[in-house]
Formats: sequence, C-alpha cells, structure tokens
Amino acid sequence: MNKFVAIVGSNSNKSTNRELLQYMQKHFQNQAEIELVEIKGLPIFKKSADRFVPQEAKDIATKIEAADGVIIATPEYDHSITAALTSALAWLSYGIHPFVDKPVMITGASYGSLGSSRAQSQLRQILDSPELKARIMPSSEFLLGHSLQAFDEDENLKDPNEVKQLDGLFKDFVQFVNISKQLNNANVVNKHKAEQFSWDKD
Amino acid sequence: MKLVGIAGSIADQSYNRTLLKFIAKRFEGLVDIEVLDINDVPVFNQDDDQTNCAAIQNLCKKIEGADGVIIATPEHNHTVPAALKNVIEWLSYEVHPFDAKPVMIVGASYHTQGSSRAQLHLRQILEAPGVNAIVLPGNEFLLGDVKNAFDENGDLKDQRTVDFLQSTLQNFIRFAKVINMIGQTTDYEEEDLSAKNGTDTTVQGVDMNADDWLDQAAKKVNAVEGDSYVKLDSGLLTVDQLNYFLKTIPIELTYVDENNQFIYYNDFLPTEKMLAKRTPAQVGDALDKVHPQISSVLKHVKQVINTLRTGKTDLVSMPVPGNDEKTHVVHYYKAMHDEAGNYKGVNEWAVDIKPIVDEYLRETGQKLVNDPNARVDAITGASENPEVDTTTGASDTLQKIAKPEVKIDTTSSASKH
Repeated sequence: MNKFVAIVGSNSNKSTNRELLQYMQKHFQNQAEIELVEIKGLPIFKKSADRFVPQEAKDIATKIEAADGVIIATPEYDHSITAALTSALAWLSYGIHPFVDKPVMITGASYGSLGSSRAQSQLRQILDSPELKARIMPSSEFLLGHSLQAFDEDENLKDPNEVKQLDGLFKDFVQFVNISKQLNNANVVNKHKAEQFSWDKD
Repeated sequence: MKLVGIAGSIADQSYNRTLLKFIAKRFEGLVDIEVLDINDVPVFNQDDDQTNCAAIQNLCKKIEGADGVIIATPEHNHTVPAALKNVIEWLSYEVHPFDAKPVMIVGASYHTQGSSRAQLHLRQILEAPGVNAIVLPGNEFLLGDVKNAFDENGDLKDQRTVDFLQSTLQNFIRFAKVINMIGQTTDYEEEDLSAKNGTDTTVQGVDMNADDWLDQAAKKVNAVEGDSYVKLDSGLLTVDQLNYFLKTIPIELTYVDENNQFIYYNDFLPTEKMLAKRTPAQVGDALDKVHPQISSVLKHVKQVINTLRTGKTDLVSMPVPGNDEKTHVVHYYKAMHDEAGNYKGVNEWAVDIKPIVDEYLRETGQKLVNDPNARVDAITGASENPEVDTTTGASDTLQKIAKPEVKIDTTSSASKH
C-alpha cells in the first residue's frame, strides 16, 4: 500500500484544511496510508551564510523522501497560499530537495464558495519551480467551498457529490503515483540539477 | 509626495533593499521615500493575534501616513518570499493600511527573470479584498542579473535602466495623486463623536455627558488627588503641583482622548475670558456634546480628528476668523501617541500669538509691514472653496481641510465649545 504525507497548509489550530486531510486519512485508509504533517512552529524562511535549515523542516523532508506521494491542503489568504506554507516550501528546497519528481495532489478548503482556487493555482506554479520540481497531478482540482458547513458531526464530508469527486481524484492520484514510479529515468539527473541549481550563482 | 519602500526580503544582504535605497537616493528631488524594515515581524497565525506589536503597528502607521508604497520583491520558488507574504497577511487581518493605497512593484533577481513570476503573484495578492491596494498597471520594472547591476556606491550602473526607472516612478507619482484623490472621501465619516465605543481608559458605568462626570468618574477609579504623588516619566509631582503647573502655562490646553471624549482642560480663566470657551460641567463630554449639532461643523471636526488619527499629519493649526491687528488667535490640534505609536487622542491648545509677535518686534526693534507678494491668507481661502479638499493629494489635504475647519471654531467658540 502506498504511503502518503499530507501537509496541512495552515498553522491555525482550527483549520478546515486539516479536517479535510483527516477525513481523507480515514476515508481512504484501505487505499493508502496517510500521515498528517504540520508546518506550525517553523520560522519564517531566511537565508543564511551557512545555509541553516531548522530540524523540524529536515524531519518533514525525511518523511517526504520516504513517502510515495504528497497531498497538500491549502487555505487561501489574500489570493495565495499562507505565508506559513510558502515558508515551509522554501525551507524544503533550501539545500534539501525532497519534492523532486515527487507526485503531489493539491486540495484546498475555504469558508467562502471559491474553495481556495487562486491559492491552488499559485501553489502549482510554486511546486513547478526548479528547486521544488514536484510532479503535480495535472487537471485535478479539488476545491472545497463553504468548508465550515462541509463536514457532519462524525467529521465526514456531507455532500455526496463532493465525496464522489474526491473518490475519483484520489483513485487517479494512486494511479498517478504508480505510473510515476516508472517515470524515474531522469530522477537522478533531476535531483542533481535541483541540488546544483542556485539563484545565487553568478 | 511621501512614499514608503518595503524590501520583500529579510536576508542580511538583499539587492532588493539596495534597489530601494538607490531609488530613494537618486530621486530624492522628485519624491521623499522612507525604506521600512520587515525583519522583526512575527509569524502570522490566526490563533495568536499580534497586530498590536510594535513592528506591525509601526509598518501600519507608516503605510497609512504615506501617499503610496513601493514594494521591491525578490523571487523564491516562483513566488514572493514568505517574509513579505507574512507581512501582508498581518496587514490585511485586523488592520488594513493598504486599503486604497497606491502601490508600485519593482523587483530584482540574480538571473534573467528579474522576479517576473513573483511580481505577478504579488499583484494578485495585493488585489485581494482584505489588502485592497491599488497597484500601478503596466510599468513592470524587472532588474535581472542584479549582482552586476550596482557599482560600489550602490548606484545602478546602466543609464538606460536609470532612465526607465525614472519614467516608471514618474508614472507612479501621477498615478498615486489620482488614486488618492478618489480615495479620500469618506474615511472621516467613521469618526464616532458620540464616543460610545470607549477605549481601555474610558471610565465605565458613568454617564460621560453628566455635569458631574469628573467627580463620579474620579470616585469610580479611586483617583488620587491633593498631595498624593504621581510618578511621571521625567519627574515626580503631587496632584496639586501638577495643577499649579498646568494652570500657569499661558495657553489654553484641552485633552481629547482617542475615543473622542473631552477629558481635561487647564481651567485657569473664567469661561467668558477664554479664547476657546469651556466650562467645568463639560469635562467628560463626548465631542458631539460640546459642538453645535450642525452637520457641517461635525463633519469638519471629524475631518480634523481623522487626519490626526490616521497619521496623515501630526499637527493641524488654524487661525480663528475675527482676528484683527490686536489679536491673532490660533487653535492647534496635535496628535498624541503612546510609545508604540498608537494614536492616543488630541492635545488641543488655543493661543493668541499676537503678543508674542509684538514682544519679538519690541525686543528686536522691528515693525511689521505688508508683503505685497503675500498670497491670500488661510481665512479667506477657506470660506470660498471648501469643496476643493476632497480632491487633493494626501500631503496637500491638511491645509485645505484645516481651512474650512476655521468655520467650526467661529461657530463653536461663539456657543458652547
């Protein structure tokens, strides 16, 4: 069974994105083993001469390296992902490159009707950058709007149409991960390029 | 025009900061730019609201007080640095200094892109409803290969780049003027002259408009009086000594707190002899109680207070109409702030400056003569064209708001004020 790391894109104690991932963890337990990872507590990304990376970020990197794929649930703050998630992704591409060629599924929840749509499209661009270079599942938006009303008291998604869409997408993601495992001919080169890549270079 | 510059990086060495400093220095004849620091801003977290911390309050106040903002962004992973996004999150949560604020985006990067993707993300972010900045369209300034762009003095080497930068900056200055014209309409309407919301120092459970508010409120808070000592930041006085001191300052002083409540005046003259007439029974009153209920008067009071509260200026002054060669009474309204820069109310003083001028002339053996080139003075300008002020840039506003305010004081000092 595939092992996935699920990153909660919010540092807030009350997060419907966390609820969504917890729901997926439970709902898909027969299809994959999902471990939730928190970004709370990470400092704001800052470059240093000795390229210091906090231990919490290194621990997350180790988990991602070991996983078959990553699921990210992102809120939307000001039309984009949270500064906390931007910061986490910056740490996770600073001298370490756990995302290179890693299959990623993007999801997101918001209180309003849009379901973090703009944040998700920015997140795709970010994950596509040379030092992250993740393998994002194409054409697979899952936008959970009105997220405060989306779950019942047992923390299950209420709307059967949402469940149906998520079921389909998740099945696709598992397939995507399995196919990805065969698309690794360039992985060594890609990793090397990400490591060698530097915005700082002359 | 006054702008603030924000470098989107907290790295010790930042070319985007270098770029802003260069813009500030090179174009200082064109515009006044203060470069702000975002280093000490805590991580944004909804569970731990730190909007009131000094770093955020300072940024908020500086941005609110500026006519526009220039943001210089690096690009990390195809987007803006987390540190910059973090600042914007704080400034779009409980406070909204970017609201309707003209913003210009510039950026520098090591490679050819010059932060192109980050700039587009930043535009989307600044457009978000909680931020609601008004970003200069077009005029992209992308500085690639930044390591080779500056000389040892921090000056851009390529003249064509400097020329292009100047033309985008000039476009922004024009843009900011227009945007600020549109923006300055109704801010002041939010001023609550009835003081009903209170603040942390408002005495609760006492009717502020009661004639004996002072006695009631003092009892409620167990206020010290008489020979009790009060420790000030640079002195120790008894309450009696404080009174002796304040009552011998030859200027009429009035304290209006940040909740628009009139809480003190240095009562040293009989009411009828005062330049701005107050009575002991008025102390504690909300501002709408001490001004006549005339909408134009209340509107002007709101304008002055809002100008001070939002930091557009720290001081409004206006001569009272009816001044002649014997008297020249001026009312001053000075914003007060705490150590963290939070607005704490108005220190208002009224003074006849003519005796001071006379003394100066006597001491120096000079006399006053008319200046044939003098422009029309504030008082005449005022009554003629009070509507003009809604369409001026922020930095011009003050004087023009101040002028129509003159009318308030005529009305109010004649009646209850």
